[in-house]
Amino acid sequence: MDGLDNLFSAPTRRDVLRWGVACGAAGALCPTGVGIALGQDVAAPNTLPGLRLKGLARHEAMFWEKLDENKVKCVLCPRECEVADVERGYCGVRENHEGKYQTLVYGALCSANVDPIEKKPLFHYLPGTTAFSVATAGCNIECKFCQNWQISQFRPEQVESVLVEPERLIATAQARSAPTIAYTYSEPVIFYEYVHDTAALARQQGIGSVMISNGYIQEKPLRELCRHLTGVKVDFKAFSEKFYEETCAGKLKPVLATLETLKDIGIWFELVILLIPTLNDSPDEIKQMSEWIVQHLGPDVPMHFTRFHPTYRINNLPSTPVGTLERARQIALDAGVRYAYAGNVPTHPGENTYCHQCKVPLIRRTGFRVESNRIRDGKCPDCATPIPGVWSAEQALAFKPREKAAAPQTAGQPS
Amino acid sequence: MSTFSTRRQFLAQMGAAAAAGAVLPTGPWLDAAQGEAPERSSRVIIARDDALAGGSVDEHGELLRKLLDASMQRLSGAQDAAAAWRRWFKPTDRVGIKVNTLGHTTQPAVVDAVVAGLRQADVPAENIIIWDRFDSELDKAGFKLNRSASGVKCYGTDAEEVGSGYQSNVETSGEIGSCYSRIIAEQIDALISVPVLKDHSLAGVSLGMKNFYGAIHNPNKYHDRNCDPYVVDVVSHRFVRPRWRLTVCDATRGQCHGGPMKNPGYAWPFGGLIIGTDFVAVDAVGADLLDGERKNRGLKLLADDKRPTNHIATAGARGLGVADLSRIERIEL
Ligand code: SF4
Repeated sequence: MDGLDNLFSAPTRRDVLRWGVACGAAGALCPTGVGIALGQDVAAPNTLPGLRLKGLARHEAMFWEKLDENKVKCVLCPRECEVADVERGYCGVRENHEGKYQTLVYGALCSANVDPIEKKPLFHYLPGTTAFSVATAGCNIECKFCQNWQISQFRPEQVESVLVEPERLIATAQARSAPTIAYTYSEPVIFYEYVHDTAALARQQGIGSVMISNGYIQEKPLRELCRHLTGVKVDFKAFSEKFYEETCAGKLKPVLATLETLKDIGIWFELVILLIPTLNDSPDEIKQMSEWIVQHLGPDVPMHFTRFHPTYRINNLPSTPVGTLERARQIALDAGVRYAYAGNVPTHPGENTYCHQCKVPLIRRTGFRVESNRIRDGKCPDCATPIPGVWSAEQALAFKPREKAAAPQTAGQPS
Repeated sequence: MSTFSTRRQFLAQMGAAAAAGAVLPTGPWLDAAQGEAPERSSRVIIARDDALAGGSVDEHGELLRKLLDASMQRLSGAQDAAAAWRRWFKPTDRVGIKVNTLGHTTQPAVVDAVVAGLRQADVPAENIIIWDRFDSELDKAGFKLNRSASGVKCYGTDAEEVGSGYQSNVETSGEIGSCYSRIIAEQIDALISVPVLKDHSLAGVSLGMKNFYGAIHNPNKYHDRNCDPYVVDVVSHRFVRPRWRLTVCDATRGQCHGGPMKNPGYAWPFGGLIIGTDFVAVDAVGADLLDGERKNRGLKLLADDKRPTNHIATAGARGLGVADLSRIERIEL
């Protein structure tokens, strides 16, 4: 608990060194990124172990409907849980209290770190800066390979948390010179109200907000939230309903719909695909996924292929071979994706950003560390091709969502 | 005293009892020691008394003890209550009594009767733990918390100062992946489930089996498909099935609709207990009784109300007990 408490007090000189607050100011090197091998957005190092009961941070929930007999229906995510009095929805952080739906995690942060934005990973969003990264307990799906299951798969009273009001979080991010707050590690959709209120307030105070999400959200709340966000990363688990159902207790179609909505809104977003040997790494599936992305989202949405490591409920499979990531990256590039990355392989050339036009290296990375960045005014300095992304804080904060298109697009047919 | 030092002795006595026309007792601890599911009698006792249906349940402590003891004798075929309790419990047992303290809750007086029975089997008070998820919910339901070393213990999984909390490793059982309460995983070796006779908005009923959703850290993940087969997966685990010796369903104040929350409009003063060693059979009988009451009141049957009690049939199909009502011997006292 000390770790979190300290994090939300004024930073000392020691804190500055510890949390790498100077990263943003220096514009390049970030000490927290050095030597970290994991490509996933793992909640570390101050994720708190243990399961101590803490009070719940109750707050009226958004996006729910009243049903008969004091029941409610949550319409925040595609599960649409119907919840009787005193019961909770699937995510475990929303509870029916006498016919009114409440979130139990408004500001109940169980994890907070100053991370390089590359750790999210967002490679085309203010590279070399930091994101003040926070999470509450809970998730609305259950990936059997979740790296953060000790917070995502627990109820709020089972993890140690501190109560941090939006204003305090924003002030802390400012004090740490982080231009961005990242809602991450577990699943921001399930702490929606907190993200919503904080992101709206942060924007007014010159701080952007990025959501690192599974994309399991309904269209209406997503559009509302994107009024305040400045970027999104979606974990695109696979391109098959079978994988989503059997390995994630979710469904693919709603995620495809979310991606199309994000495209329609016009917000900057990137995709991460964690490749798990034998489960979602077949060349055919990656090809279909890449083609769907190019066709429905366009060629400029970056794809990050990252490594799986045995954890949680999948312990019988090996870590993903580097060759699998390289092959997936090439398949995506061949399908027309302009920015495909092999993530989580420090010093691998597949971690760098290359101009899609003239192919020169633009951003060189080692793990989460940005070694050099040649992009100028959002363009390749050699051939002047615009490089898609968010390259300045001003650009991030100036984002305004497009109005909803008249006819909604339809999702493709996954395998 | 009827304890069995060897499996052969146990079986011999069972054979003698069968020959004498008595109900076959089961000796779960013998099987539990080997990690196997115990053989169970599919006899279910419904013990009712009109007096129990009126007034406060707390006033009827003596009556509850009598009803429970008589039921145990009927289950076991033993001559006296102490002998009956000894058929299933021995002095070295550490017994966990899992109560239901969410919404419409287990009555403490019923649990007192269970404790009195265990004491007749010479189970030391210190070896008995009354438990559920939270201290706060136990307290609210009227249980007296006791985390001290003496007397019957009573605390929630959240009471970490007495070494509970959840285990840190994920246990897989069928489709579920959960961390079990350290109370059930580490602190006991015999289980009694003391649920309430009530319906449930998703599972159809919340009886002996569903009660063990309170033993895992993530019950919210297992509400789809009317909790089927997840309830069965939870109780099939080695922490539950081989240790579960008895179900005493608190039917003093049933509720046929609006559960799991307390809903006075559907209160059903059944005035009784439903008891058995086959936990599937007890749940099957409980669900049948609830449906009967729903029918009497013009309510839809649970299956027609989009909450079929499929988990009970699944438990039967998987051999955890008898779900087929025609094969359950229902005895009313
Ligand atoms: S956000 Fe939670 S409660 Fe709401 S529908 Fe999704 S899983 Fe259910």
